[in-house]
Amino acid sequence: MDLNRLNIASNFNKIAFGNTIDLGNVASLDPWSMITMCLLLAKRANKDDKKFILPKDLNALCFLKEMCFDNFLKEIGFDKEAKKLSKIEIPKLSDEKVLQIEHYEYQSEFEAKLAYFIEMFKNFGLNQSDAYRATSLIGELGNNVFDHNLGNWPTNIRGCFITGQNYSKEKKIEITVGDPGIGFWGSLKNAFPELNNDVEAIIKGLGGNTGRMGEKRGNGLKLIQDWTINKFSGCLMIHSKKGLVIVDKDGIKNDEVFEILGTMVQFVIYYD
Amino acid sequence: MKIILKLIKFGKILNSRPSGREAVLRAKQIINGSKNVEEIVVDFGKVSIVTPSYLDEFISGIKKYYSKNKITMTGYRDNIVIEDTLKALDIV
Repeated sequence: MDLNRLNIASNFNKIAFGNTIDLGNVASLDPWSMITMCLLLAKRANKDDKKFILPKDLNALCFLKEMCFDNFLKEIGFDKEAKKLSKIEIPKLSDEKVLQIEHYEYQSEFEAKLAYFIEMFKNFGLNQSDAYRATSLIGELGNNVFDHNLGNWPTNIRGCFITGQNYSKEKKIEITVGDPGIGFWGSLKNAFPELNNDVEAIIKGLGGNTGRMGEKRGNGLKLIQDWTINKFSGCLMIHSKKGLVIVDKDGIKNDEVFEILGTMVQFVIYYD
Repeated sequence: MKIILKLIKFGKILNSRPSGREAVLRAKQIINGSKNVEEIVVDFGKVSIVTPSYLDEFISGIKKYYSKNKITMTGYRDNIVIEDTLKALDIV
């Protein structure tokens, strides 16, 4: 099974049951499904009966190793699985370029990495202006993670997870940022008590509204949406708790899907 | 007199709200240490990235403390991303 942003919701019951995450039959993962795994595992990290089954497929294992998923597993307490994955010897898989999975616990760690992202985007094929613009998108997404969860992280796992992939033949880049935080609804419900669910909260946030009462904020996500669609001809996907919203040039689509801890946002951009 | 705040002195990549707030405090020291300041010029020359969060925090802070002064932006025209960010926040 190739797990990706288009099919992960329909395959969810095959990979997650109780406190078990089973990737046994998974042959590949894209950035969106990688960050989904991070958040599903983060939610179960403190459970006594937690279980993570690694893929049987060698290519999938090599990919996870290449993405440094073993480091992430170790950080959140899946030591046995981390050890097993770290022992795998990996060949060079492909010429596709990836952003290995990173976990930044603190805003200062995240900020220090932004200069790296500029160079990464240039290496992916973006010109300087577009590399600056794409890095601004990541910067703003990271800012949202730390600003909206400050003092409010639901578990002892905090910060943001980032991964990405450059599909050089299609001249397409997918970057996904996730956080095990309070989610859009959690952030907005005090300021907007009329909100009824996660989808409504995400759409409220995309409209430039903020949950930080008494402060004039909210431009960041609006700008992320605008630039992704109008400057990069791309699309923006947001999954927060049970809500999923996808925005592109054709408008907004939404759905109620499986629940994650916190929020994940992906921007997909195209370049010349 | 006119005082120029060169943002490159704060960094090439200007990102978070906490950093923007800290920069306002430093800018206050610079401005208050000068006499007869009428105009404050915020110079983006040589800066690579200013995210909306930083920009909002910095410009709002300067405007709050120096509401009677003329505040202008310069040095952004050779960086289309900074120009777009300024426009998106209705600063220019």
